[in-house]
Amino acid sequence: MRDPLAGLWFVPLSVISVSAYCADYLTVSQAQKAIFGEQAIFLESPLELSNDQRKAIKKAAGTRQRQQTQAAWQVMGADGKLVGWFFVDDVIGKHEYISYALGVSVAGEILGMEIMSYRESHGDEVREASWREKFVGKHLGDPFKLDEDVPNISGATLSCRNLLDGAKRLLVIYDLYLQQ
Amino acid sequence: MSAFSLPAMAGESLFGFVKGAETLPEGAGELYQKVISRSDKGTGEYEAINWETELEYGITDRFSMSGSFKMLSLDTSGLIIDGYLPKEEDFSFKPMGLEAAATYMFLSPAKDNFGLSGQISFDYSWLDTHSGQEKDTYSLELDAIAQKFFLEGQLVWGANFGVETTYADRKEIDGLPADFDWPTDPEMEIELKFGTGLSYRFAPNWFVSLEAYYETEFETEVGQERWSVFAGPSLHYGAAKWWATLSWLPQMKGGGEQYEGQEDTDLHLIEKTEEELRLTVALNF
Repeated sequence: MRDPLAGLWFVPLSVISVSAYCADYLTVSQAQKAIFGEQAIFLESPLELSNDQRKAIKKAAGTRQRQQTQAAWQVMGADGKLVGWFFVDDVIGKHEYISYALGVSVAGEILGMEIMSYRESHGDEVREASWREKFVGKHLGDPFKLDEDVPNISGATLSCRNLLDGAKRLLVIYDLYLQQ
Repeated sequence: MSAFSLPAMAGESLFGFVKGAETLPEGAGELYQKVISRSDKGTGEYEAINWETELEYGITDRFSMSGSFKMLSLDTSGLIIDGYLPKEEDFSFKPMGLEAAATYMFLSPAKDNFGLSGQISFDYSWLDTHSGQEKDTYSLELDAIAQKFFLEGQLVWGANFGVETTYADRKEIDGLPADFDWPTDPEMEIELKFGTGLSYRFAPNWFVSLEAYYETEFETEVGQERWSVFAGPSLHYGAAKWWATLSWLPQMKGGGEQYEGQEDTDLHLIEKTEEELRLTVALNF
């Protein structure tokens, strides 16, 4: 069942243009280049998800797909061939929500994660490359457990857990609706 | 007549009474200022304010320690209770006690799905929190603290169970009527506490909560001396460097000993009041 209150504080990403993201650390464009490089071409392809699709995502990922519109971009290489997908997503932090970007290969593996905004009292380490690199190569066959897949950061356990669960949820979306 | 306890903190608190199971990470500190207003005993005027300044520090990622300093403001008139309220008082910010606490997190609510911590606290006070009279009170309290996140942390459940043992020794008061009961022999008491609450994040940084807590006290002479249930809402704001929680907790039901002439017999109004207002402001570093 759709959470009737979710809409009160999660602004649908579909109404936000690329330039309107209030990123504390990275803009969408910067995150795209950080994960896929300067030569990649991005085609904005937001996903409109029905309630049934969101239920299916919840069932497969174990966490809610709150937004009806998932911000996503097809990513093409310089030769015009599809090399993966780029997502921008929000997860719940201790006080505010954390905006992050995830790159997924056509094989369904994580290519990179970038933290776009993080405003919590503890856990700035989530921005460090050494922590984010633990996500690279993860796929749906991995357990997605804290301290197994990625290390926990004390004082930011909820943030780490929700980022890990969020990455899994985006892989599920790719697996269910985008994989060709 | 045990010490009125202001629970030692265990990190950020979404509730007024119920504590959370998460401890501070290693090397992190938090400074709390707690204010609890207790008012209205049904007769006369009674307004007590407990002030507590507490510093908590994360020794490891699972173990934190805290120390606090307590003061009392009291304004009471038109109400004398045999054995409990011997005199009218009117004073502010009188130092009344010290407390030290240690908290260990066995399970993390975010990592292990169900959070569980244990807390031990030792309290020494030299003023009676109810009457403001001189009384040496030593209390040892053990608490089990449970917490669970739902909806990725948008909904939070918490529950606490505590046992407090108290040794108290009143000082003599000059000028009391000959028939006024003010025992100065040391007394021992045991208090049980149970609280639970739900908190919902309705906007970034903002939580609204509902909680209830039950307290009962036993002593040798009278068995169950008192019990009471308080329940009410809280509003919490949390930011990166500070947070605050405001709670209104009226007494819903109570029993045990009553004072002579007490009109509302569904409440315990000797050691408790009809209203509690709790405010905690914290800075983290």
